[in-house]
Amino acid sequence: MWAWLPPTPDELTALYLSVKIGLWCTALIAIPGLVTGWLLARWQFPGKALVDGLVHLPLVLPPVVPGYLLLLLLGRQGPIGRWLFESWGVSLAFSWQGAVVASALMAFPLMVRAVRLAVRLVEPRLEEAARTLGAGPLRVWLTVTVPLSLPGILTGLLLAFARSLGEFGATVTFVGNVAGETRTLPLAIYTYTQIPGGDRSALRLVVLSILLALAALWASEWAARRTERLLGTPKA
Amino acid sequence: MLALDLELRQGGFSLHGQLRLDQPVSGLFGPSGCGKSTLLRAIAGLIRPQRGFIQLDGVALLDTAQGIDLPPHRRRVGLVFQDSQLFPHLSVESNLLYGFRLLPTAARRFTLAQIVDLLDIGPLLPRRPRHLSGGERQRVALGRTLLASPRLLLLDEPLSALDEGRKQQILPFLRRVRDELRLPMLYVSHAINEILSLTPYVAVMEQGRILGQGLFAEVIRQDHILGLARSLGLENVLRVTVERHEPDIGSTTVRYDHHQLHLPLSALPPGSETWIALRAADVALAVQPISGITIQNQVAGRILGLRRIADRMVVEIDIGVPILAEVTVKAIRDLGLKEGDAVYCLFKARAWQYLATAV
Repeated sequence: MWAWLPPTPDELTALYLSVKIGLWCTALIAIPGLVTGWLLARWQFPGKALVDGLVHLPLVLPPVVPGYLLLLLLGRQGPIGRWLFESWGVSLAFSWQGAVVASALMAFPLMVRAVRLAVRLVEPRLEEAARTLGAGPLRVWLTVTVPLSLPGILTGLLLAFARSLGEFGATVTFVGNVAGETRTLPLAIYTYTQIPGGDRSALRLVVLSILLALAALWASEWAARRTERLLGTPKA
Repeated sequence: MLALDLELRQGGFSLHGQLRLDQPVSGLFGPSGCGKSTLLRAIAGLIRPQRGFIQLDGVALLDTAQGIDLPPHRRRVGLVFQDSQLFPHLSVESNLLYGFRLLPTAARRFTLAQIVDLLDIGPLLPRRPRHLSGGERQRVALGRTLLASPRLLLLDEPLSALDEGRKQQILPFLRRVRDELRLPMLYVSHAINEILSLTPYVAVMEQGRILGQGLFAEVIRQDHILGLARSLGLENVLRVTVERHEPDIGSTTVRYDHHQLHLPLSALPPGSETWIALRAADVALAVQPISGITIQNQVAGRILGLRRIADRMVVEIDIGVPILAEVTVKAIRDLGLKEGDAVYCLFKARAWQYLATAV
């Protein structure tokens, strides 16, 4: 009865793609998400409401919409896509790099929100204390703001990774469902449910998805505990 | 040393005034919410006044007319916060060294060992701030600021989060900083006894205005400050030396100039100096000594002047030091008192309040 258990190479490819795209997506938005979340939490600047709205748009739109917009802009025929291809030879459409871009766009607001909340919880007077002790703004950011918002940053990274794992609509619209290139776990599961005799594969991928999600959660919990000890403040 | 002239608006609050501090240690005194902390934050560079200048040792930290505004990290102005603001993610030692490490070696005025010894915080070094008591936190915060070698040390109500016992434990450390490190200090508090236990030089603030500065006992009797002094019961402030205690009759005798005063029993050692205060309304006047009365102090003096303020008279009497008495207009009229008259000032022993040990 266990004979159906080992996943096929195609299924493993989907898992591998999902993890690869998820990690790249997380890495891609880590720094921009950190900076944007901090800007939105700590600074007043003209056009802030607009930036805030744009960042959050993917969270409230049907995912197909950002996917389609990406296709229009970054596809071979799109203004940015054509420039990328002609100047750099880079093509995002129907490639796993494109899938990274699609899931990064969808995950970005989650990262920003987590960072913004975490930075707001950092006592501003700690930053002021650091200033009066002789630290410039960048040093204050690196030695006080970032370390103290680390739990929120880690949460944001986990949310981003999870969002990337679950990403379906924007990805399928922008980069399609290419086996071995853009067919991540959700796309593969959907595909298997559409073909006769694909139930077992779909089920195996569902189990793999659950295990992957649990692993990510566990890693983030572990990191959060480490951070707590590092920060010396029990997380509320 | 420090000179400033500022105009600052923030929300509905406005602050302006001038200050020129040339004493090594000065106090800034005023009721809560009068803008003392705001002024300190402006000196440290954490908020920017709309107009004015701040000079420290002749160097402009801020001069809006010339477009100078040094950022806080270039001002070398140390600020100790009321609630210490230690970095929770760093050990006590790393907290202490935070500013120190950013200094070029030549600019470091103190060593870690020196400050640790001065503030007696050696055993705390490996601990995290959350494992410290309030008093320990304030000592570490003070040490952290000192190690950044500031040219001016600003202390923003550093004791107000502590209970009375802890305050008395921290004050000696502040005196050691004052005497051993010779660092210019501006000590901000709404508690005059804390300030007076460090310095007699005080600037007085009320509602965003700097009203005056100088020796506290003199500043406080200026016309425009008297109202504040009256509301705090501080019209008469005297520095006295404890002479002797008589515990069996609950009495302490103190001396100023060559006069003696009988006060309630205190625990201060004989020979120590202390500040005492008396409300002007608690001073009674008599044209001759009165016998058969419980009032313990009858001091001969001469009237320097009389001022009518609203429905009452404020009489200034020279009893070796100037003393203010507040009486009704009727009382003055009934006795026919005028400038130059000899009078006796009557003080109940228990009407005097011990403010702070002066050392």
